[in-house]
Amino acid sequence: MIPKKTALLLAAVILAAIALSGCSGNANQSKNTNQNHTNNIDGVVDIEVWGTNIGYKPITKGSPLYEFYKEKLGVGVIHPYVEWNGGTNYLNQLNLKIAANEMPDMFTPQQGIEDSLAKNGAIADLTELLPEYAPNVWEAIPAEMWDVVKANDPTGQGHIYYIPGSVDYGRYAGMIRQDWLDKLNLQMPTTQDEYVNVLEAFRDQDPNGNGQKDEIPTGGRQETRWMDHIFAMYGVAMFEGYPEWDLYGGELTYAAVTPNMKAALEFAAKLYKDGLMDKETLLNDKAKWDGKITSDKVGNYFHWVEHLNLNLENLAKNTGVKAEFSILPIPKVEGYEGFYTWKRFAPPQWVVKNSKDETKLKATLKLLNNMYDKDNWKDLYLGVEGMHYTMKDGKAIKLPDDKSTMENQVLNPYSSSATLAFTKDLYNDTASDDSKWAIEQLTKNMDEAQKYAKVIAGDGISASIYEGFPDINNRTLFVEYAAKIILGQYPISKFDEFVEKWNKSGGEEVTKRAREWYSKVHQ
Amino acid sequence: MFEARREKIFVFGITIVLILFSIIALVPLLSVIATSFSSKSAVDMNLVTLWPKQFTLDSWGYIIDRPDLWKSFFLTLVTTLIGTALALLMTALLAYPLSKPEFRWGSVIMIGVVVAMIFKAPIVPYFLTVRAIGLYDNPLVLIIPHILNPFNLIIMRTFFKQFSKELEEAAFLEGCGYFRMLFQMVLPLSKAVLATLALFYGVVLWNQFQHPLFFLQNPDWFPLQIKIRQFITDDNVILAGVTSMIDQNYNERTLRAATVIFAIVPIIMVYPFLQKYFVKGAMIGSVKG
Repeated sequence: MIPKKTALLLAAVILAAIALSGCSGNANQSKNTNQNHTNNIDGVVDIEVWGTNIGYKPITKGSPLYEFYKEKLGVGVIHPYVEWNGGTNYLNQLNLKIAANEMPDMFTPQQGIEDSLAKNGAIADLTELLPEYAPNVWEAIPAEMWDVVKANDPTGQGHIYYIPGSVDYGRYAGMIRQDWLDKLNLQMPTTQDEYVNVLEAFRDQDPNGNGQKDEIPTGGRQETRWMDHIFAMYGVAMFEGYPEWDLYGGELTYAAVTPNMKAALEFAAKLYKDGLMDKETLLNDKAKWDGKITSDKVGNYFHWVEHLNLNLENLAKNTGVKAEFSILPIPKVEGYEGFYTWKRFAPPQWVVKNSKDETKLKATLKLLNNMYDKDNWKDLYLGVEGMHYTMKDGKAIKLPDDKSTMENQVLNPYSSSATLAFTKDLYNDTASDDSKWAIEQLTKNMDEAQKYAKVIAGDGISASIYEGFPDINNRTLFVEYAAKIILGQYPISKFDEFVEKWNKSGGEEVTKRAREWYSKVHQ
Repeated sequence: MFEARREKIFVFGITIVLILFSIIALVPLLSVIATSFSSKSAVDMNLVTLWPKQFTLDSWGYIIDRPDLWKSFFLTLVTTLIGTALALLMTALLAYPLSKPEFRWGSVIMIGVVVAMIFKAPIVPYFLTVRAIGLYDNPLVLIIPHILNPFNLIIMRTFFKQFSKELEEAAFLEGCGYFRMLFQMVLPLSKAVLATLALFYGVVLWNQFQHPLFFLQNPDWFPLQIKIRQFITDDNVILAGVTSMIDQNYNERTLRAATVIFAIVPIIMVYPFLQKYFVKGAMIGSVKG
């Protein structure tokens, strides 16, 4: 009985397999011819581009943004909709597409996928192509950065496989309520003691004048994020709450395990204990913390300086107070050299398919070259008139976000290779009369913030050093100890236990790899 | 007397516990509802807890005005209705012959069904297969992959097996064929199992998220759950820039709240009427496997 059943089952499986493969063969062919974007009559080549899209409309052949890119950049851009979903779904879709042998011509890689693609020869080696066919890209990114990209080549041959995102200025700083300082007749603090005095005055002297003791001198957000200004004064390389790699004692070291970090945490715990830091610091999410800032309660916070206008305008709208923020100079602490961490490297921005089709490859490089041409940036930023911006009193003004009508502006070199000059111009050129006061403060502060920005030694370090040690990459252990120390649940002496545990759980190995990387970049 | 009192105390205690549980479940919902009816600045400043502050209908106005949300809503409604009907038909058509001992290939097919239930296809081959069938970026992908579920099939088959043999034999003697038997005798007498499976299929179709995410590229065909997800995610805008002044009296959080309520209202309205079948349905097939 059993052999008969098995035989039948086998037969059924084989039948099904035959039916299925037959089906797929046919359907595949018809699909391929469908998706193969042929050259247009006017000689413009269409290429498929995948990148971040958080819910805007796709770019389809003949759509307004397609025509705009075609006219501006000389290449047709087809940008299908791929649900972003924090990057996870995008990556899944990309993997499936690659498995189906339909890799987009140009796309934004995610979570290190470019490493394996480069190893398999699936993406183009850009080392020689860029200087020749896309000189604008080549020049938009500093030579030292290309050296780092070469050092990060997973094949170990020193080739370039991706175009990195880049930032040519310090984006971050602690900002402090200048109007509160003036009201309480206080000087801008320059040393740590003065800083603490100011925070105490904010706490006790009712600078917002509502008769309640509801001021929050300073604070941050959950997972010890967005409070880098506390760490900055001790020379801790901290990036939005992520400890980074910098030189300590002449050697590349993870900032979380340095004596500097220990001293900074001790100071943070003291601020917390004295009620100078928000009691909910480690519970705040973005909305909650922004809400406190815009309800006229927070004296000093850390964030992107160029987003200050959002807080200023919301604060004015919520409370009627036109606040004034200045950059907090890094308070001097004896024995430490303070700075705000500046990473010139942003995640890899574009990779190009290793296409057998010369015309496609050339078209992709042409697109890259033209979009990195700084003369095009303003137009690319504004997008299509009537869809992304409108003219008001002779000035181009961006329309409010509307995902149901706007096509996704996927080509955005102005933000993926941001420069201080362009960003400031953008704000100045597009400021309306109502928002002028906020924009003026913002641009002044952006200039001021440059004084305290320092490029760290570990800038651009390859994420592959964390391979096999996801917990170190996620800084799980650090967040646990740092949070408990700040809240006073752990004494500061526990920090040494953390360092020991970190080293044992893979930190030593990661440090070794990081130092190897550093010597490779600086040979 | 003593027993009755103890029982009363027991019931009272249970009631209190259950009330506490429902409060725990209701508080977040109330807070979301309150947020959806509050003004932008009240929400910005974290003032809203359980009662709307600075009452406004602006968020709801925005939601109601968005044609794409309604489109997704109706799309989901239609796919759920059609999908459920089709699914019941397909399931019944396969379950009925499988319940008949005289069907020679029954056991082979049954093994196939069990294999399909236990071993899920890995994502890449599954993707390639669905694409090969021509369902990639095709709205039918919202329905077709869902219309036959092995688990549901087994439940229905078990139910059919219990069907009275005498009744069927009597019908056969009168000259009734298999199809007529299924559609005119068996199905009308199987309302309990049909209602249960309709719920199982319906809930899956209403809540589907992964399938459309993988297989649809045209946002016009996105079902409600994906649309909502777009509202809910906090995506950091890289370059805020200056947009023409924000005069609306809503923000991300109020819109999010309103959308969430918008999406659960239909389910909340249907659920009380169908809940009894859920319980019954879970029992069917549980004893006789």
